[in-house]
Amino acid sequence: MNNVILMFALPLLAAFLIQTLWRALGPLSRFVGPLTLLATGIIGLRAWPVVTEQPAAIAIGNFAPPLGITFYVDRLALLFALIVAFGMLALWPWGKVEDRPRTDSILLILAAAATGMALSGDLFNLYVFYELVAVATYGLIVSGGRAPAYAATFRYLIISAFGAALALIGIALVYTLTGTLNLAHLAEVAPDLLNNPMGLAAFGLFLIGFGVKAELFPVNTWVPEVYPSVPQRVAGLLAGVVSKLALIVIVRVMLLVFPFEGAHLLMLALGIAGVVFGELSAWRARDLSRTLGFSSIGQLGVMFIAFSVPGEAGLLAGLAVALHHTAVKPALFLLAERWGGSLARLKGAAGDSPLAAGLFVLLALSLIGIPPLPGFWAKLLTLVALFDQAHPLYLIGAGVILVGAVFETAYLFRIATGLYGTADAGQPGRETHDWADLLTAGALGAALLAGVVLLAPLGQQLTGIAAQTADRGLYVQTVHPTLPTFVIGQTP
Amino acid sequence: MNWTELILELLLMPLVAFFVGLAMVLMMRKVAARLQRRVGPPLLQPLYDIIKLYGKKTQVSHGVMHDIGIIMAVGGYIAAETLLPVPGMDGIADKGGIITLAYFLMIPALGLALGVGQCANPNGSIGISRALTSMLAYDIPFIIVVFGVAFHFGTTNLADIVRIQQEGGIGGWGIVEMPLMALAGLFAMQAMLAKEPFEVYIAPPEIATGPMVEMGGKYMGGLFVMQAFQFYTMGVLYTTLFLGGGENWLSFLVKIFLVILIPVTVTVIYPRYKTDDLVRLVWKWPTAIGLVGLIFVMH
Amino acid sequence: MNPMELTSPDLLLAVAALTAVVVLIAGNTRAGGWLATLGYALQFGVLSRMAGLGYGEPAIESALHFDVFGWSLFWRYTALSWFFAIITVGAAMLTALFAAGDWGRQYRRNGGSLRLLHTALALNVVAMLLLLGSGELVGMCIGWELVSWASFLLMATGGAGAVQAALKYLVYAIGGGMAMLAGMALVYSLVGSFEPDALAAAVPNLSDGQVWALVLLFGSAFGVKMALLPFHLWQARAYALTPAPGATFLGTISSRMGLFAIIMMIIAPIGLLRLETISGPLGLLSGNEILAWIAVFTIILPTFTALRQNDALMLLTWHGIGQGGYMLLGLVAGDKLGLGSAGGIMHVFNYATYQAAIFMSVFAVVYRTGTADLNKLGGLITRMPISFVAMLAGIIGLAGLPPMSGFVSKWFIYRSLLIEGEPLLFVGAVIGTLGTILSVYKLIHNMFLGQLRLEHVKVREAPPTMSIPMLVLVAVVFATGWFPGIVLDWVAAVQASIGLPVIAHHWGGIDLPAGGLDMRWVVSILLGGFAAGAIIFYGLGNRHRAVHQLDNYAGGHFLSGDVRYQYSANFYAGLMRLIGPWYRGTFQWLESGIVSGVSAASMAAQGVLRPALPGAYLLLTATLLLWVIL
Repeated sequence: MNNVILMFALPLLAAFLIQTLWRALGPLSRFVGPLTLLATGIIGLRAWPVVTEQPAAIAIGNFAPPLGITFYVDRLALLFALIVAFGMLALWPWGKVEDRPRTDSILLILAAAATGMALSGDLFNLYVFYELVAVATYGLIVSGGRAPAYAATFRYLIISAFGAALALIGIALVYTLTGTLNLAHLAEVAPDLLNNPMGLAAFGLFLIGFGVKAELFPVNTWVPEVYPSVPQRVAGLLAGVVSKLALIVIVRVMLLVFPFEGAHLLMLALGIAGVVFGELSAWRARDLSRTLGFSSIGQLGVMFIAFSVPGEAGLLAGLAVALHHTAVKPALFLLAERWGGSLARLKGAAGDSPLAAGLFVLLALSLIGIPPLPGFWAKLLTLVALFDQAHPLYLIGAGVILVGAVFETAYLFRIATGLYGTADAGQPGRETHDWADLLTAGALGAALLAGVVLLAPLGQQLTGIAAQTADRGLYVQTVHPTLPTFVIGQTP
Repeated sequence: MNWTELILELLLMPLVAFFVGLAMVLMMRKVAARLQRRVGPPLLQPLYDIIKLYGKKTQVSHGVMHDIGIIMAVGGYIAAETLLPVPGMDGIADKGGIITLAYFLMIPALGLALGVGQCANPNGSIGISRALTSMLAYDIPFIIVVFGVAFHFGTTNLADIVRIQQEGGIGGWGIVEMPLMALAGLFAMQAMLAKEPFEVYIAPPEIATGPMVEMGGKYMGGLFVMQAFQFYTMGVLYTTLFLGGGENWLSFLVKIFLVILIPVTVTVIYPRYKTDDLVRLVWKWPTAIGLVGLIFVMH
Repeated sequence: MNPMELTSPDLLLAVAALTAVVVLIAGNTRAGGWLATLGYALQFGVLSRMAGLGYGEPAIESALHFDVFGWSLFWRYTALSWFFAIITVGAAMLTALFAAGDWGRQYRRNGGSLRLLHTALALNVVAMLLLLGSGELVGMCIGWELVSWASFLLMATGGAGAVQAALKYLVYAIGGGMAMLAGMALVYSLVGSFEPDALAAAVPNLSDGQVWALVLLFGSAFGVKMALLPFHLWQARAYALTPAPGATFLGTISSRMGLFAIIMMIIAPIGLLRLETISGPLGLLSGNEILAWIAVFTIILPTFTALRQNDALMLLTWHGIGQGGYMLLGLVAGDKLGLGSAGGIMHVFNYATYQAAIFMSVFAVVYRTGTADLNKLGGLITRMPISFVAMLAGIIGLAGLPPMSGFVSKWFIYRSLLIEGEPLLFVGAVIGTLGTILSVYKLIHNMFLGQLRLEHVKVREAPPTMSIPMLVLVAVVFATGWFPGIVLDWVAAVQASIGLPVIAHHWGGIDLPAGGLDMRWVVSILLGGFAAGAIIFYGLGNRHRAVHQLDNYAGGHFLSGDVRYQYSANFYAGLMRLIGPWYRGTFQWLESGIVSGVSAASMAAQGVLRPALPGAYLLLTATLLLWVIL
């Protein structure tokens, strides 16, 4: 079981070694990064059956919690660690970025930090990994060497730093209130010590702080600037993988430490705002990458809404939406790599690149939630979960999601019909897609279709994950086997 | 009822209608003549007219639809007569009823419209445009009346409507129980007969009698026959709905002639309305009266 | 039953899917259209094997079923499914035949892709058959969305203008789809199941507000497809710009899927009795009366919009919207004898047959003359007599006059309103019929009657592949008008399968103590009348002499062919002087108002997301800190 730590350690090690290796192995060393990710992925896959039965807590350096650094490995954590490994592998910028070894090293650090975020069982470690992710992404954004990227990074930097500061205040507040930062420990004491306005404030700070990466409203204003100015693989990585990790951390913390109605509603409200602002802006955006950026704000909003539903139903719905988005968004960004600039340029593009246009339509359909594609099932689960809630804000959330889908249809199919239209006279030509981009996007599209076929087993897996995650008692039991469960057995 | 009797009725009913209708045409011309201090035509003049028209040498056809239009105009009425009960004969009143009859009455208009259409004479087409417009106008109060009467008597079967009224005596007549409906029906009938002030689609001075512009010989004769049927149908329908139908042939004939006397008199003394004025007038007064009547019927 | 055993519905879906595959492969070949026709004929064959459904046999389960997220999805064919399916497949078969021969060749010459067209049509059929067979809401939603997207594909085959119209449709359709999703989620939260039967069982315990929520959500979801007011703006243009077989198919049956869904989710599970008990705003009207009024406005407004059209196809498609209103009106009329619902359901069939005939006739004229502009045609009766007959039969049906079938279904609806004592609805429905008569006369007059244009003197009748489907439809329209019992049998089975009162009908209609209808007599007597009229006309008097079509005069002058004297523009000038100002375009105004509103909101949203807003962050931080400290 302990080799799960390697999922975190291996990329970190490789990141430090790669500069040296580059000198020793030369061009061959460009395979070091992907191979490392592959190795971590395989380790993760082998751990899957074990974790399915029983989650595990790993105390690093054998310091028992709450003192030492704890990794908590359940299906949810492992799933997202796997997403990091395979997602980054799929989106690995082969020959896309200048300054190879340095970029590879940044990517590996990102992988390590992101894995750490997924596995960490300690609030402070979470914060550390989060900062590491932030630093890695700054480097990644400017790695494309495009001039607007520097300006965008600067804005991103400011907002991130601001977010980190807020998160830190939040964590400090939690520590002041409880005297611990271990999640399992917090889960035990939360109902007594954090179910108050102070606790809610701490959650708010934490939410906004981590929300920067998760494109949470209102700290998402970096998104529309950053995505169009970076290589689209990186944009896909940020929107598809990194944002989900930040999100899942927030969800885990909310579930264990702040399982209170106020916290849920706060997240719900911000999610609603995200959908409203994201979809409205996307409707108006006039280039593909920016459209996708805005729409990803909206999509993340949907996830926040879904996860804000307490209990298993919300987890299941949120997970389904998140996984679906992880597959679809990067693929769309990859298509946008050669379809940048004004949308008007894309008229008649289906003639040059029929495969890309077909993929775009498929991905767009799933994103909107058209049955029987996976996006539909995710949306249905979300709505069913939302309609079961008594608080009227949940209904507003459902309404916003539904109207948002109409907007998505309008802007995505305005583009799609343009692709299949006839080009205007004198319209500038387009480059055709890079085969690697197309292949990756195609693989993700195929994964979507496979999702349709394997819907039933996938559904069972997701339900299992949701059930395991929702079990707060199991978490505490796993980390502190000595404690009686009845203390923390039920959510207030 | 046995088959021979029924078939006899089906043959007899249109035949009676034809001759009574001719008499009504004669009455119209007599009334007009008297009001204009003329003598008017002799008794058999309508019949002579038809024979003359059929016997004419010039019989210009503008195509098959032109012919079929006339056939539909006449045939539609012949069929409609079998739905209208008269003393002693119910025909197939129980198979159709008043809604079917109301729709049957549109068939001759449509047939005529199609026939005139093929004549390719713009005046004819203008006439049809006006005719259909006035149909849109008068059918609304008419259908209000149809609904009100059918609802009041609880049946669409015209024979039953007659029976219920006769069982109630004069106090049970539609006109006593639903005076507003009867008034609205009178208005609608005036327009249905396309008599002044609602004869804009014939409009002799402007569009050279509109739909009739290309009709000569037996085409005109057909329309003449149709007019006779139209008078009869309107008279009988009104009598059936409001005047208790015919207890016997004598009272029946008196009633239907009295009914038709109203429009033919109004015709002579009124000028003509423009199309839009016609629609406005018909949608305003008879419709309003009909709707008020309906309120009484429903409560 | 063994779940793996394949049944007729499976065979039907398999053949439908196979047809789609075949036309995808062979659509562009000479045989493509014929293969498509054959495919639909085979589906028709399978459906006739299932004909027992139309005569009261129990529903047939499909082997197609699976379990996801603890929900079980299953498909089955009931009388209701079968009734709609037979219309769907019949329409597809005849339209495919219509396009199989010369029409298809001309379409390809003009640069159209027959493969795309046939595939889109076949996909529509598959999607609709899937929808019709769905047994619960999730499967229904799948079918529903597939139908929406398949019709979008079909509409988008019509070129640039059509794509715009299709996009508009798409936004409406997805809006509807999302309302359906909301409805589904609501049903699930109320009864814990997606099955209509479970909903039906729970309906008596639901509050009025909950029932209203369901009616509103499902009503607007499916009303969009039916183009019920106020969701009607997308349809006319989108259908009219679709290529001939597509437009014919969409115009005849596609939007009726909305009615099917309304029956499935509102009429059957909630029931008219429950609808009567819920009251609207201020307690003025009951639920079914509100629906009935929506239906009546859907009849009147689109019909009078049709009256103003100068394009034959736009005229037809606007009428299509209006006719949908009759179907809904009949369904919600709610008399205890089942007359209204019988009329409403029967009207689906009748409407499909005559509307297809008119569409084909118009497209035959377009095929020969290249235009559907009502001001550029005329006098074609002598050149295209079969098309004329098809249109004549069709418009008599559309106007709802005897002897065609359209009269029968409307009679049932009127009769029901009479029993229920709804005079205003009754008058509203009749106003629609009168407007239709005016409008369809203009249609047939401006195309087939009046002056023949010189450039059309050499026009010939449409080729047999196009005229045969028309004649088949004319025969069906006439036969089902003379013997409405053919369709009423199926209608009664449908009523039984969805728990409505079943009409006690016979071959000619229905016997009622308070006035029934026997079309055997009515039509026979009408034909007899015509026969008598013919005898009087042809048998008596002098022989008539036919003059040449162009031998005309007006105002005492002979008219030569090069003088245009066809009376077509502003055909109802007198009426329009009065009602012209009543066309306010309120709904159009509303639609563009919403678009502008959204546009402004999106500008504002971008304004929030684009700038970094440091001031706002500082404020936010300060507020949070202040909150923490206090």
